[in-house]
Amino acid sequence: MPESAWGWLIVTYLFLAGAGAGAFLAAVACDLLAPDWSKALARAGSLASGPLVAVGTACLVLDLEAGLWEPWRQIYLVNNLESMISWGVIVLSLFIPVAFVYAAGLNEITFVGRYAKKYLKPLEIVGSGLAVATAVYTGVLIAVVNGVPFWNTPMMPVLFFASAMSTGLAVAMLGAAVIDINTIRTLSNFALGHVIFLAVEGFVLMLLVFMSLTRSVEAAISANMLISGMLSPYFWILVVVLGILVPFILSIVEYYEYGAMPKLLVVGADLLVLLGGMSLRALIVFSGSPPQVI
Amino acid sequence: MPRYGIAIDTTRCVGCHACRVACQNQNGLEPSEAYNWIKELERGNFPSYSKRFVPVQCNHCENAPCQRVCPTGATYTTKEGVVLVNPKTCVGCKYCMEACPYKVRILEHKKGIVEKCRFCIEMVREGGIPACVATCPTGVRIFGDLDDPNSEISRFIAETGAQPLRADLNTRPKIFYKRS
Repeated sequence: MPESAWGWLIVTYLFLAGAGAGAFLAAVACDLLAPDWSKALARAGSLASGPLVAVGTACLVLDLEAGLWEPWRQIYLVNNLESMISWGVIVLSLFIPVAFVYAAGLNEITFVGRYAKKYLKPLEIVGSGLAVATAVYTGVLIAVVNGVPFWNTPMMPVLFFASAMSTGLAVAMLGAAVIDINTIRTLSNFALGHVIFLAVEGFVLMLLVFMSLTRSVEAAISANMLISGMLSPYFWILVVVLGILVPFILSIVEYYEYGAMPKLLVVGADLLVLLGGMSLRALIVFSGSPPQVI
Repeated sequence: MPRYGIAIDTTRCVGCHACRVACQNQNGLEPSEAYNWIKELERGNFPSYSKRFVPVQCNHCENAPCQRVCPTGATYTTKEGVVLVNPKTCVGCKYCMEACPYKVRILEHKKGIVEKCRFCIEMVREGGIPACVATCPTGVRIFGDLDDPNSEISRFIAETGAQPLRADLNTRPKIFYKRS
């Protein structure tokens, strides 16, 4: 396995930021499009969003070296707007407070919530823009790097966005089941979201792997590591089968059976989506091979 | 203002690693840390076998990917075209290490910052040459001004057709290699 400068902290960040942004969008979609189906899903999505992205950002800060020991150095992080990290810092600093205020408003928590309740629509519009930016940015961050040819493709942000949407929806659905287990019947309507986003994720992942096989020597090394090399058991079992195929099939059944599917399977499908989302990010980061220079 | 570069004649390299040790001494590095390496390129099977040593270090790219991705602006290019890291503003996010195609940046855990070959710029500004160039017993490296057509390095590049590593990556490196 090639040595990556980034490890599990960055992988966790990429996953949590995507899931948090996706959960926000799931909450907004539920509140705007289907307020009478499931209040629980909108509530769960909004409550999970801010904390998930905040914990993810904490992982990002923990991965810093001098910037962790001498935190005032972090002020320099917005110095270079050519750097995706500078943009990420700006997007995250805006999105995290908006997500917390939105959660307070939607759930009427404290005086902040009572005040924010009057401005739910603007919070939903601004927050959705920032959530999309957060989810896409996690992919752009690694896609602009020409030191790792496998990542260096516009398919990466699309893949990460689709995965962020499905993992965010999974978080919101699990949260809704925790808040009110009887709501699980109504969740069938949202299973269609899983069907769509898992299909997009699977399709883009397939494109990425196939095209990487012929794109360059180094991208092919990475792709081969995933499909037949040392990372292949994890790729096929955790990402393809458990992370995409099984929840995809379960979600189709869930959508058509409308509430008749056992609760355990509904919750299980969402947990598998989360497992797949985390594994996908880990495998993409750890399979990145450097250019062959000599 | 000069535009510094190094020409490397790989046909003269015997793989003694003196350049690496000189660099470590000059920059006060731990034995496990280095700003330059000697990579070994093996071809064929015995008896049709050859081995070539290729010294690798920061290429001080004119279009430096590490500088472009550095969020704090800690990575900068001096007026002599030398890419340096400001130890006071680097936060150690390691984005530059991912972005560098040549993988020649290292994390200095003690200082919490990312460092790399500095072309021994303090010595060079006082009229000296980098430690790796001065130390090499077989004269593999030539240091000089790429903008001066009469400099030894410019003549060497013109005569031998020395090329940078992976010119296709459009980073415009300033280290040129004579490969055969």
